[in-house]
Amino acid sequence: MNTNPPRSRSALRRLLLLLAAAAILVIFSYGWTVTRIDLSVPQEPQRQRNVGNALRELLSPNVFTQDYEVLTATAPFTIGCPDAFEASPVVASDQPYIVVEPACGRANEVVTVRGYNFAANGLARVNWIAADGERRVRRVVGASGDNFITDGSGGFVVQVEVPRIRGSAGQTHTIEVQGRFPVGLPRFSDTTGLVIEKMVETIFLALIATAVSILPSAILSFFAAQNLMHPVRTPLGGLLLSFTLLPLGWLLGTLLLGQIGLLALNVGRLSGVSGATTAGLLLLGAVVSTRKLGGNAVMPPGFNPRALLNAVLFAVIATAALGLIGGLGLLFGSTFRDGLLGYVGALLGSLGSLIELAIVPIGGIIGAFTLASIGSTLTRQALKHTSAAMSHVLGGILGALAGMILLGLTASIGLTAAWLSLLTPVAAAGMASAILPLLYRRFVHRPENPTTTDRAIRTVLSWSGAAAAFVVAFLLLNVRQALVEGALPPQTVAFEALGIKFYAYVVQAMLIGAVLGGVAGAMAGTKANFPIGSVLYTVTRTLLNALRSIEPLIMGLVFVIWVGIGPFAGVLALALHSVASLGKLYSEQIENIDAGPIEALQSTGANRLQTIMYAVVPQIIPPYIAFTMYRWDINVRMSTIIGFVGGGGIGFLLQQQINLLRYRDAGVAVLAIAIVVSILDYASASIRERYI
Amino acid sequence: MLIIENLTKIYDNGFMALDNINLEIPDGQFVAIIGLSGSGKSTLLRCINRLIDPTKGRIIWNGIDITAATDDELRQIRRRIGMIFQQFNLVKRSSVITNVMAGRLGYINPLFSLVNYFPPQEKARALAALERVGIADKAYNRASALSGGQQQRVGIARTLMQEPEMLLADEPVASLDPATSHSVMKYLELLNQEDGLTILCSLHFLSLARAYSDRVIALKDGKLEFDGLPQEIDNERFKMIYGEDAVEVEIH
Repeated sequence: MNTNPPRSRSALRRLLLLLAAAAILVIFSYGWTVTRIDLSVPQEPQRQRNVGNALRELLSPNVFTQDYEVLTATAPFTIGCPDAFEASPVVASDQPYIVVEPACGRANEVVTVRGYNFAANGLARVNWIAADGERRVRRVVGASGDNFITDGSGGFVVQVEVPRIRGSAGQTHTIEVQGRFPVGLPRFSDTTGLVIEKMVETIFLALIATAVSILPSAILSFFAAQNLMHPVRTPLGGLLLSFTLLPLGWLLGTLLLGQIGLLALNVGRLSGVSGATTAGLLLLGAVVSTRKLGGNAVMPPGFNPRALLNAVLFAVIATAALGLIGGLGLLFGSTFRDGLLGYVGALLGSLGSLIELAIVPIGGIIGAFTLASIGSTLTRQALKHTSAAMSHVLGGILGALAGMILLGLTASIGLTAAWLSLLTPVAAAGMASAILPLLYRRFVHRPENPTTTDRAIRTVLSWSGAAAAFVVAFLLLNVRQALVEGALPPQTVAFEALGIKFYAYVVQAMLIGAVLGGVAGAMAGTKANFPIGSVLYTVTRTLLNALRSIEPLIMGLVFVIWVGIGPFAGVLALALHSVASLGKLYSEQIENIDAGPIEALQSTGANRLQTIMYAVVPQIIPPYIAFTMYRWDINVRMSTIIGFVGGGGIGFLLQQQINLLRYRDAGVAVLAIAIVVSILDYASASIRERYI
Repeated sequence: MLIIENLTKIYDNGFMALDNINLEIPDGQFVAIIGLSGSGKSTLLRCINRLIDPTKGRIIWNGIDITAATDDELRQIRRRIGMIFQQFNLVKRSSVITNVMAGRLGYINPLFSLVNYFPPQEKARALAALERVGIADKAYNRASALSGGQQQRVGIARTLMQEPEMLLADEPVASLDPATSHSVMKYLELLNQEDGLTILCSLHFLSLARAYSDRVIALKDGKLEFDGLPQEIDNERFKMIYGEDAVEVEIH
């Protein structure tokens, strides 16, 4: 039902509308001034001429070139007509020749030059060669340029004025006519060749950058999708224990898994295919045995210690397989160096060396997460049987440990750059935001049905706790100094343990973390449901947004410093930006999917991973393909800009040509970009049509 | 035996969807849940397999407290509770057989799911389930290529993969035409009678409830309004459940 609002309200609304319109007008007027829009400047004749010339050259790209042959004919000419002058006879032939009439004359007299047997409709010019051999172009009478055009039969009749040359009377000069005509077909100019070469580089630069970014952004997109992450909650005890186990898992992972990975890498590299095959067969055996362990592929009901063993086995196999792949890559790279296989060898070889560099940290990461997941599974079982009091005690202990690790980590990051030292107060605030509402709920009022007031109180308490912790951490850690003076925190070593240096600054942060984490953990208890999904979502989104807001041009500047001028810097810059951009685009696609299948699969008892694989992934593949194509298209366009800061590709060439004012050459580059982008656009559109 | 004690659900926005529901449902019963839209039918069904976490109260099924289960235990419980939906909730781009096999995921090693592998015996089981609902010939079609009634049968086949003991049906025929509605309801009846499944089925039409159910539960504004035999619902009770203005529409 639509009822008219009361008169007074509608008047108020009209007034507000008017005010809004006025505000918009002011904003735009200010914008007009700030951007210094001055319509008189583009009307100045000189500027219009300049822009006209530049545009004309840009629009006549120097795409083609043509070979010419030059036909030359000469005739003597005597200055001043001496008495005894006699014109030498002209013999008509089938070769190009010219006839000058009269064959002598004074300065500024006009003589007629007739030409025969030149190329039809070709360009020709008249040169005057003085007695000392100096050659000058002589414009024919009535022509605007140096050249004139021969007629359809290759002949011409032009008139030339005799030049005034001091002391030349009586000398015999030579009149020369050069006619030129095209030989063969027009071909691409050198500029075009260079542009094509750079364009290919650009296309591949964009392709590699896009390809590299697909996997990280696809993984990140799941964490940045609100509909997937928001419902994910986990008992606090398990989470805290997992978090506490992360460093231990990392240590074990680098020591054990990393070494296994290196071993597999060396097996692949040194003993070649036969050794790798043996190793591969062993791996296969291990996989088959996990299948046996899996109990005929059907998980038995109830708590399953086999699942833990499977997790460890899986971690070992994954690391070993990665190492093996890396080793084979290195082997391949060192074996094949030439020809087409050489390209593949170079790629696999550098992938292999990348794996060689990364295998130990990867082992650490896999170890950390394996141990964390085992810990979480075990605690979930154990926590069910703990009493409420015990749950709070355990919560306090684990919370203190986890808080210590978290702030230790952020403080270590803070040691690298001044502004990053803000991370520690922010993390402290995050932990503290939970404390006051928990205290309130425990000692003051625990509402059965939270009302709006209750929620408001919670928000206020949570924010004030966070603010207090932020300020305390800010002051204690002397972040002010870092922010204002850009000075890094002092790196004084408090103590050394296990070969790791503990800086006083980090220890201080760890203490703050222990206190805050301990209090929060004790208040919440291990049975509290922690919204880990929302936290991960917020962190991922913030990271992606921050990365995305940095222009690839700026990333390019940094990477040029790191890896030098060239397409590699461009690849890195575009890949990093693509990760952020695709991560966000992908995650929005996840948020748009039909939630029904997720609900259906959850109701069958599928776990989170399975639900994602079977309910989410099939729905997002078409938009992922579409957005990846779109991103490639964007990366081609962006790589033209990246080139301006030295990131390789066609932009580099374009910049040189523009700086040298060679607009006709720049026009070729612009044309090439336009053509390639249109083709890509068309291709991506048709692929999208086919797959969706 | 499914026992629901003092079940209350208050959503985050303060809306009370269920208000102190108490029920006892013996094994093998076909229970129809009726009521207006928003009366709490869907919430009740989703609280039973905890797609929605209840605010208060307990749900005890065969002696296990579902409301207190950890995530791992909950997955074990859910494996034995099938569910079908008004919108069928199939992955439309996937093949019918993939949709059906997905019903078995709770039994399968999650690592296999990473590489999209189903053991051959599960494929055979899926084909048998499709055979049972009469659409084995559509196994390799895309789910989106099927009609509404066929899609709901795929949904039923998917729950058969779970070897369920109880089936929750959330308005399974509300998106179907009358003739197809009856065919889908007949399959539910078959599962109830042949396999002895307990069935909780929310319905819009009282006539369907009368035709298929052993027992009718009526919800109104989250409260239990009626609990009894289908034939006990006379005109007066009907107006109590659906409001004074309501007129019963038959579906044939």
